[in-house]
Amino acid sequence: MEASQSSSNPSSSAATPAPNPNRNSNSILSSAPVWPTIDGPLGLTEEESLSYARRFYGFGYALLPWLWAVNCFYFWPVLRHSRSFPVIRPYVMKSAVGFSVFTSLLCSWALTFAIGGEQLFGPVWDKLVMYNLADRLGLTGWI
Amino acid sequence: MAAQQNHRAGGSIIDSLGEEIVRIVTPVSICMFLVVILVAVLNSGSSSSPPTINTIATIAYSETTSDSTWDKLKGALLNALVFVVVVTAVTFLLVLLFYFRCTHFLKLYMGFSSFIVLLFLGGEIALFLIRKFSVPIDCFTFLVLLFNFAAVGVFAVFLSKMAIIVTQGYLVAIGMLVAYWFTLLPEWTTWVLLVALALYDLAAVLLPVGPLRLLVELAISRDEDIPALVYEARPVINHDQGSREYEGQRRAWRRRRESGNDSESDHNIVTSDAEVTAPLIQNRVSSAADGQESSVASTDNSFLEGIGLGSSGAIKLGLGDFIFYSVLVGRAAMYDFMTVYACYLAIIAGLGVTLMLLALYQQALPALPVSIAFGVLFYFLTRLLLEEFVVQCSLNLVMF
Repeated sequence: MEASQSSSNPSSSAATPAPNPNRNSNSILSSAPVWPTIDGPLGLTEEESLSYARRFYGFGYALLPWLWAVNCFYFWPVLRHSRSFPVIRPYVMKSAVGFSVFTSLLCSWALTFAIGGEQLFGPVWDKLVMYNLADRLGLTGWI
Repeated sequence: MAAQQNHRAGGSIIDSLGEEIVRIVTPVSICMFLVVILVAVLNSGSSSSPPTINTIATIAYSETTSDSTWDKLKGALLNALVFVVVVTAVTFLLVLLFYFRCTHFLKLYMGFSSFIVLLFLGGEIALFLIRKFSVPIDCFTFLVLLFNFAAVGVFAVFLSKMAIIVTQGYLVAIGMLVAYWFTLLPEWTTWVLLVALALYDLAAVLLPVGPLRLLVELAISRDEDIPALVYEARPVINHDQGSREYEGQRRAWRRRRESGNDSESDHNIVTSDAEVTAPLIQNRVSSAADGQESSVASTDNSFLEGIGLGSSGAIKLGLGDFIFYSVLVGRAAMYDFMTVYACYLAIIAGLGVTLMLLALYQQALPALPVSIAFGVLFYFLTRLLLEEFVVQCSLNLVMF
């Protein structure tokens, strides 16, 4: 939709003035998106996407940072165009913040564990590392 | 401006048709590639004793390397027969449930089975990889990551309106995991099973009494979608049409709809394979609850002549097709990479033939038979004839 509309501008003559920057952000001369999801016309409408964004944000608290990340990815136009979707935006912003915080914590723990190794943790490292645990509990045997 | 006009005039059937085919061949290729990588990485060390599994597919006979050829063949036939009978029974059960409108139960079952596959099979394969490469990951991080992966996968499969690329990615992942699990079956059983399933698919979709055909006809008469694991390619948006038509297009893409100009006939075929995982049971009758499909569906636009893949069309390929194509290529990878290339080309050729037949006949078609036939034929031809030729040429420094 944006491509077909913005293509009309270059063909107009030089006498046409530039679009008024004080117009409503949803006017057709600006590049405000109509679709809040990344799928565009194949995705959700604005009304449906509110419930989806809220649900994803809520479920993400069950130790699901990946769901927050998918939320941000799915509603990327909402994040990019800061004035367009005022109702959906808080949820997506909070999902983004939650994802960054959780991921930084998880990464720092994982890297400490991986790099520190036995020198930092002592004998507990052998008990916590996954391949030893898998061997001890026989997790790879039942397939 | 001139470029735009050219684009609009040149956006003909060739572009949209090619785009449609590419959008279905790409995920099939990615799935096969991932399975080949897994097989090459995980089976490179232990070539003598690959991990054997006890499932419904090996309940009749467990192949050992010391049996004679005739015994192996008989055992494999028995295994394949049992498997096909189980699949037929479960598909009829699915038709029955769909007839009594237990759609909610079917969706729950789908979500549950994909959760099981992603969590347990995904976890197993991740553990194999961790052990192989000695990745120093701790159990908490591993559990959090695995749980995230599985939970978002369930959302993607369960919700009808998740991000398209996330849903497609998870369907390919499920296909890859189940296909790798199937490659752990003994060799003769795998080949006979593939042929048997191709024949079953042919019968179930084309015969008037076949369960898949009944399912399709039920779905058409009620104008509903079958709740099943189907890969839907993103529809090609034709730039000639205005954007207003696409407000409802997503729903049209998902459900069948008779619009004024187009006549869309959406066909969707499901096979439900009920192998239930019971990891705590000692005798290890293991199976994975799985929603499979073995056919291809498409929508057509009566404006476009010839092939009939319309601009609003979305080709749907069942997840069972992904799985069994990848099983064939994975098995070929266990022998050598030469067979992998040959089987990959054969399967893609078969898929192309199937898509052409689909455009020709405008009804639901089984996607397994042609590709599996080509694949099996080319595997044995490569193994018997081509390999000898290539090796001799290389030894005598003629080619390669």
